[in-house]
Amino acid sequence: MATERNDIEEALNRRYEAGFVTDIETEYLPPGLSEDVIRQLSAKKHEPQWMTDWRLEAYRHWLTMPVPEWAKLKIGPIDFQSISYYAAPKARPKSLDEVDPKLLETYDKLGVPLHERAKLAGVAVDAVFDSVSVGTTFRKELAAAGVIFCSMSEAIQEHPELVRKYLGSVVPVADNYFAALNCAVFSDGSFVFIPKGVRCPMELSTYFRINAMNTGQFERTLIVAEEGSYVSYLEGCTAPQRDENQLHAAVVELVALDDAQIKYSTVQNWYPGDENGIGGIYNFVTKRGDCRGARSKISWTQVETGSAITWKYPSCVLRGDDSSGEFYSVALTHHAQQADTGTKMIHLGRNTKSKIISKGISAGRGQNTYRGLVKVEKGAEGARNYTQCDSLLIGKKCGAHTFPYIEVKHPSAIVEHEATTSKISDDQLFYCRSRGLGEEDAVSMIVDGFCKQVFKELPMEFAVEAKKLLEVSLEGAVG
Amino acid sequence: MSAPLLQSLEQGFAGLPPAAVQAAQLGEVRRASLAAALGDGLPGARAERWRHTSLRALERRTFSPLAAADESLVAGLARQIADTAPAGADEMPAWLQTLRQLSAQRVPRLVFVNGTFAPALSQLHGLPAEVRFEPLSQALADPARDPRELEFLARRFNAADETFARLNAAFALDGLLLRVPAGVQCAQPVALVMLGAAAEGDRALHLRHLVEVGEGASLDLREYQFAATAQANLCNSLVHVHLRRGARLEHLRVQAEDADAVLLARTDAVLAGEADYGRTDLELGAVLSRHELNVSLQGSGARLRSNGVLLADGRRHLDTRLGVDHAARDTACELTWRGLGAGRGRAVFHGGILIRAGADGTSAQLSNKNLLLSPHAEIDTQPVLEIHADEVKASHGATVGQLDPAALFYLRSRGVPEAQARRQLTEAFCRIVLDDLADTALREQIDALLAQRLAGVGA
Repeated sequence: MATERNDIEEALNRRYEAGFVTDIETEYLPPGLSEDVIRQLSAKKHEPQWMTDWRLEAYRHWLTMPVPEWAKLKIGPIDFQSISYYAAPKARPKSLDEVDPKLLETYDKLGVPLHERAKLAGVAVDAVFDSVSVGTTFRKELAAAGVIFCSMSEAIQEHPELVRKYLGSVVPVADNYFAALNCAVFSDGSFVFIPKGVRCPMELSTYFRINAMNTGQFERTLIVAEEGSYVSYLEGCTAPQRDENQLHAAVVELVALDDAQIKYSTVQNWYPGDENGIGGIYNFVTKRGDCRGARSKISWTQVETGSAITWKYPSCVLRGDDSSGEFYSVALTHHAQQADTGTKMIHLGRNTKSKIISKGISAGRGQNTYRGLVKVEKGAEGARNYTQCDSLLIGKKCGAHTFPYIEVKHPSAIVEHEATTSKISDDQLFYCRSRGLGEEDAVSMIVDGFCKQVFKELPMEFAVEAKKLLEVSLEGAVG
Repeated sequence: MSAPLLQSLEQGFAGLPPAAVQAAQLGEVRRASLAAALGDGLPGARAERWRHTSLRALERRTFSPLAAADESLVAGLARQIADTAPAGADEMPAWLQTLRQLSAQRVPRLVFVNGTFAPALSQLHGLPAEVRFEPLSQALADPARDPRELEFLARRFNAADETFARLNAAFALDGLLLRVPAGVQCAQPVALVMLGAAAEGDRALHLRHLVEVGEGASLDLREYQFAATAQANLCNSLVHVHLRRGARLEHLRVQAEDADAVLLARTDAVLAGEADYGRTDLELGAVLSRHELNVSLQGSGARLRSNGVLLADGRRHLDTRLGVDHAARDTACELTWRGLGAGRGRAVFHGGILIRAGADGTSAQLSNKNLLLSPHAEIDTQPVLEIHADEVKASHGATVGQLDPAALFYLRSRGVPEAQARRQLTEAFCRIVLDDLADTALREQIDALLAQRLAGVGA
């Protein structure tokens, strides 16, 4: 009996492995939001005046904006005054060797290689803990190739000309409610600059961790790929298990110049809340890539398994002639999770191409919405889009919704959209069961097959992680 | 400061005959509906359901209501129909051709000229005796009438963007009342014809129709919207369709209004178990035509088939918005729509399918294909699935593209001139929506009408 109970408990805990809290001395700004808080935040980070002004402008604009209500989401009211907009570990390391061992342990537990042995993994990591970046690995090696990979705070200090040139050029200050809030209060994030003709020698990765209570995380990522360069970038996120909802409002901007390629992969595993929908992260993210140059390419791949609410539309503005955009997504909602996610493909240049593959899985009482826009503007001769949205329903109380918008203004465009909704059929299950598979294994195998088109776009380590995450997230979905 | 459109209607309301407004104790409903429409105003650019159809040009125009029929106009039209002097069928306008055919085939029909019942053009007999078939104005004028019969007129429209339904509830004094009792099979089709004509200034015409098909009964309804003469009226029509258990309705709607006319149409259909609703819609005319087709499948086994084509050439803006609500088990819908954008036209299509929790065994399918033929035309399409049940089969597909170059090449290699090859392919592209019309004679008529219109598109 005792062992059985332990097994059950273990299984329960396994559901959200990243749910622990690291006990570390943290410095906060008191909760609340005002111009003074923003000035304080900016001062803490020793930012130049233009940055402070930029933040204040965003804040003033944010105050005038209504909270968006168009998404198919039930969002409780958010009290922006009860959130602390800055939380950072007290001990600030000079180099990775000085990083608080507890912090390193945290990332170890999460399976993120921060230390030297990370070399084995061959991935350069920027780790963001609450509001600040705690360390970026492989900087020297990257610098030798001319690649800049550092935290956004450092970039503002060390490469102000680049930051000023590109920050806010893809997602303008007043773009939307949560982006404006992010502009005002973002605390850190990653900055990547790949110079002309350079193929980034390793995968770059950022790991976001929310640890402190009553805080929001507002990070800002900017990736610039100059002419003919290539970079693959991975993003992972986790947070401890708590009863309150925490806000995560990030902005990611990508700029690809002529012939440049950016591949951006996300495995999002913020704390999803418990079975009853208590707690979890509100994940309101604005991600947009600008294919500014001819023949440039931006590819988004996302696996969204976490968060109580996901509101996220990684988009591509296909400005350059012959540029292309891709969006591959798996979004899973279980228990009381809600997701409203999709993409926008804006075709402006000639012969631009885009491809959208979206796989939504709903289980429990989860609500999963695909919302996408494919827009072909007047000048976009020869534009081509293919969209496929599939939804898988597991259980009686979940929902799967599809809201695609197609707007075409050029007669040479070809736009195709297909969507299907189905459930795991009893026949499929029966077949697997008759081959000796347990019900949960059978389901996870079928789900894995359903998601294959997306997983194959992920870098290998991420694909394995994503698969594992889906399995864990779906536990208890059947039967 | 409300828009000139609404101001002009508010003034017009004051001029309606008080007895007609008050009839069937509807005065209060009419006033409240008008107040609600004026209070919320026209849907703005941010109203999601009007995202692709702007009312900014319309709201600056003014329209006055028309309370009485123009006798001499109707007499003139009647003479044209009766005049059987052989005219080249090709040159005959569609309205005349259709009315002559209806009259020759003795099809029971109600004809409304500028929103008012025109007895001289209509035929009330020819249906089984139990069927109630009359103009709404007649029922409203009859004080002995059981008010429950007109209950549908008392419906309130609560959403802020239902401006035109509210205006209809306030203004409509005429329309079609058609009730087929249980078990009655109507062998003859029934026609509803709305004719617009020039009438001293731009007029706002409001019509409200009720079509009720009883348990196990069946009906073939043809709804036509034509212009007898060039006009720039606003016609706002609202059709209620009630299908009882096992009822069957085949509904054809042809909209070939004048190129300057504005149309706001809405059809609300409610289907009980095993009811079968088949629709074919042709949107061929008007400068602005918006049709909201809401079908609620309330009983298990209810089925909807809806086919349609939007022909947006010239400077036409055609907007069709489907909302299919699967509220019961084993319901089915099959939606096949085609859109064409040519000239400076714009075709807007929204295909919403909602499957409620518990509506297991539902099957829903939508196909929306569009041809974009001109650099100044635009196609906006939005197929939507909202699914809250898991034992369902639901899919939708939408495309926007051009004629297949391989098919064009094939026809040309067979000696078909390019223009003709294009026309043939375009016709074939649209014709699929007529496939489900069971009446061959009718299908040929409609096919000819479509071909005639497509010839003018110059694809």
